[in-house]
Amino acid sequence: MGVHEAGQRPRMGDKPIWEQIGSSFIQHYYQLFDNDRTQLGAIYIDASCLTWEGQQFQGKAAIVEKLSSLPFQKIQHSITSQDHQPTPDSCILSMVVGQLKADEDPIMGFHQMFLLKNINDAWVCTNDMFRLALHNFG
Amino acid sequence: MYSTAKNFRTYRTEEYKGGGNTSRGRVNYKSYFHENCGEENVYYKNNGYKSRLSQFQEDDGNTAMSDIQKDLHPRHNLSTTDDNNRKVARDNKDLIHITEWRDGNHQMRNMNKNEPGCKDRTFPMTKNKGPMPKYRTPSKREIEENGQNNIYGNWFKITIPYGRKYTKTWLLNSIQSKCSVHFTPVDFHYVRSQAHFFVKNSTTAFALKNVNYKIHDENNHQVRLFVKESAAPSSEQNKLKPEEIEQLKLAMKKRFDVSQKSLNLQSFRFDQDLMSHDIDMILNRRNCMSATLTVIEENFPELLSLNLCSNKLYQLDGLADIIPKAPQIKILNLSNNELKSLRQLDKIREMKLEELWLQGNPLYNNFSNYSTYMSAILDYFPKLLCLDGKDVTHSMDVETGASEILKPSKKNHGVSEMLKNLVLQFLEQYYSIYDCGDRSRLLDAYHDEACFSLTIPCNPKELVPLSLYKYSKSNRNMKNCKDHVLLTQLLKHTKRDVVDFLRVLPKTQHDLSSFMVDICILTEKMLCFSVNGRFKEEVEATCPVILRAFTRIFIVIPASNSRLCIVNDTLTVSNACPKEIQSDVSIPARAPSSIPVPTISQEQQAMVQAFSTQSGMKFNWSLKCLEQNDWNYAVAGQNFTLLKAEGKIPKEAFQQIS
Repeated sequence: MGVHEAGQRPRMGDKPIWEQIGSSFIQHYYQLFDNDRTQLGAIYIDASCLTWEGQQFQGKAAIVEKLSSLPFQKIQHSITSQDHQPTPDSCILSMVVGQLKADEDPIMGFHQMFLLKNINDAWVCTNDMFRLALHNFG
Repeated sequence: MYSTAKNFRTYRTEEYKGGGNTSRGRVNYKSYFHENCGEENVYYKNNGYKSRLSQFQEDDGNTAMSDIQKDLHPRHNLSTTDDNNRKVARDNKDLIHITEWRDGNHQMRNMNKNEPGCKDRTFPMTKNKGPMPKYRTPSKREIEENGQNNIYGNWFKITIPYGRKYTKTWLLNSIQSKCSVHFTPVDFHYVRSQAHFFVKNSTTAFALKNVNYKIHDENNHQVRLFVKESAAPSSEQNKLKPEEIEQLKLAMKKRFDVSQKSLNLQSFRFDQDLMSHDIDMILNRRNCMSATLTVIEENFPELLSLNLCSNKLYQLDGLADIIPKAPQIKILNLSNNELKSLRQLDKIREMKLEELWLQGNPLYNNFSNYSTYMSAILDYFPKLLCLDGKDVTHSMDVETGASEILKPSKKNHGVSEMLKNLVLQFLEQYYSIYDCGDRSRLLDAYHDEACFSLTIPCNPKELVPLSLYKYSKSNRNMKNCKDHVLLTQLLKHTKRDVVDFLRVLPKTQHDLSSFMVDICILTEKMLCFSVNGRFKEEVEATCPVILRAFTRIFIVIPASNSRLCIVNDTLTVSNACPKEIQSDVSIPARAPSSIPVPTISQEQQAMVQAFSTQSGMKFNWSLKCLEQNDWNYAVAGQNFTLLKAEGKIPKEAFQQIS
């Protein structure tokens, strides 16, 4: 079910490339995160930088360590919206707004930004910024 | 005769005069004489007259003709459109007057008409050992012969057409590497696209002649090189006599400040000592500049600061020679001179200047504003700290500042204070324009190829926020996303489109104190930061103010005029949760002038969650409570219970039971 303006077909087929890559990355990321976040190392590289609630972590190892050590067992993400843009140096900027539920805690909103880069034909995340939402609940 | 000769000379040499500009006359003159300089064939095609002229043409007409100069009063204005001057210049026969043929001495002196050397309007064609054939490079035999005759005092001028493309160092080194004889270039200078220098003896000249065709530049083009006999270079001509140099030295010593290691040669021509000894220190002339530099080299090699204010300098070729002589100069004052273009700075760009004064030069008018002027100068002297008395590096100087800050360093993951301030300043400026009403001013902030997109998330379980539809009025692409979430998204490209769209968005009032900013350095030239915050939307005066929450991500690059330029901009707008609106204290209050420090840690967050669940209070109120109690869970709990019993906790602190 979706809402379309009269006469417009859904533009699934002719999405711009950055949107295709961006949305499949997002899907992949949150699937990994929700199921087994220790596996997230694959999408980062040594030059990657994560900013988690203001704290910075550099490098694949440090990032995976941080994510693995987050104090919850169960986590569930629900994407409310996502947005993708190409950058001048052929990277992709992805912005995600959504909600998450950790263990039995109340639902919280979050915002996350990814910067994706194509290295050796694979898209990796070079920058990642995460913030819990304060002014809205996603 | 004398008068026309006089005209010619004055027309040719650069002049001091009260006002007016020499440029016009000089340009005309140069373009006339310089068309074919440096091309052997052309010497052949056009008769020897022109070549003779171009031979005379030292840099910018600087050839002083010694004693003659002194005789001429008043000096003629180059810019006079006096037909006589032009006519004289074109009248080749008159030119011949100046050339010394009979007199074996090449020095162009004593041009009184009584002088036996002067001929009357004839081109003295001598058959045997007459003039050196100017239209071709002299053969070795000819050079030797004439060298013996000492017609031209053994000076040779080397011309490299298109020499302007190469730096002086590269050119001279390349030539030296191919030349069998070591040579010392004298009076290296550029005229138009050519480079010239002089060497003293015929063997050297001949060896240099052989360098032609041997040098290739990095694009594999041949560097051509032509050698011809010439008069002595201007710095050699009219060399100051030893006693004059002695006076010069004394005068300069008086102007040298030992403690500051600074030399003040302001209005040097009018120095009392020099004038009383009848020494005319016109620094535009190569011989004067050269003598001055020699004195500096011998007496003040440790010079740090040089003041050349008000010396009517219009070119810096002569000054360029100072670089090896006083390598430590850091402060240079060239104000109130006649420099017309920054290309003059090209000649001295090897100087490691920290302070430069250029005001009062005509080149200033080439720039539309101070910052383009400053950044152009920074191109020549990147280490400059002070220009015309004003500091060059300041907090909004993205060029030099940010490029250093943005270098990713291994140890320092954190973002420096300077960068934070930079971003904060940017945001303040951006939002003050964004909120003020005329968003078209934002055009300057965006890159030509900037992208902007707006996203409005909404959860179908809640009421669709109808109010947000005003954002999507112009949107024709409604995308269907999975999970049946309604999503409106627009992507705008090029700054024109972006700003046009931004102008359509409702008027806003951003709450800077609510801003939470995260900064991320992407590359040396790219910075990314995200802003989470709130803004009020004022639609009409009658409507109640709507509070929105937004997330905005900017990717910026440094722009040429010390500004940040947005290349990517994504905006997500949603309704601020009404519950949130009440609580003004979400996270410790931030002053607008500082970027919020990272908020609570993960453990603290878990604590707040737990507290919130247990107490029934909203997240933020729980946070506030815990903070006030130093994160002591138990104590906080006790205090909470106490306050609650006293009814001191407002209703809105508690989560509404849905």
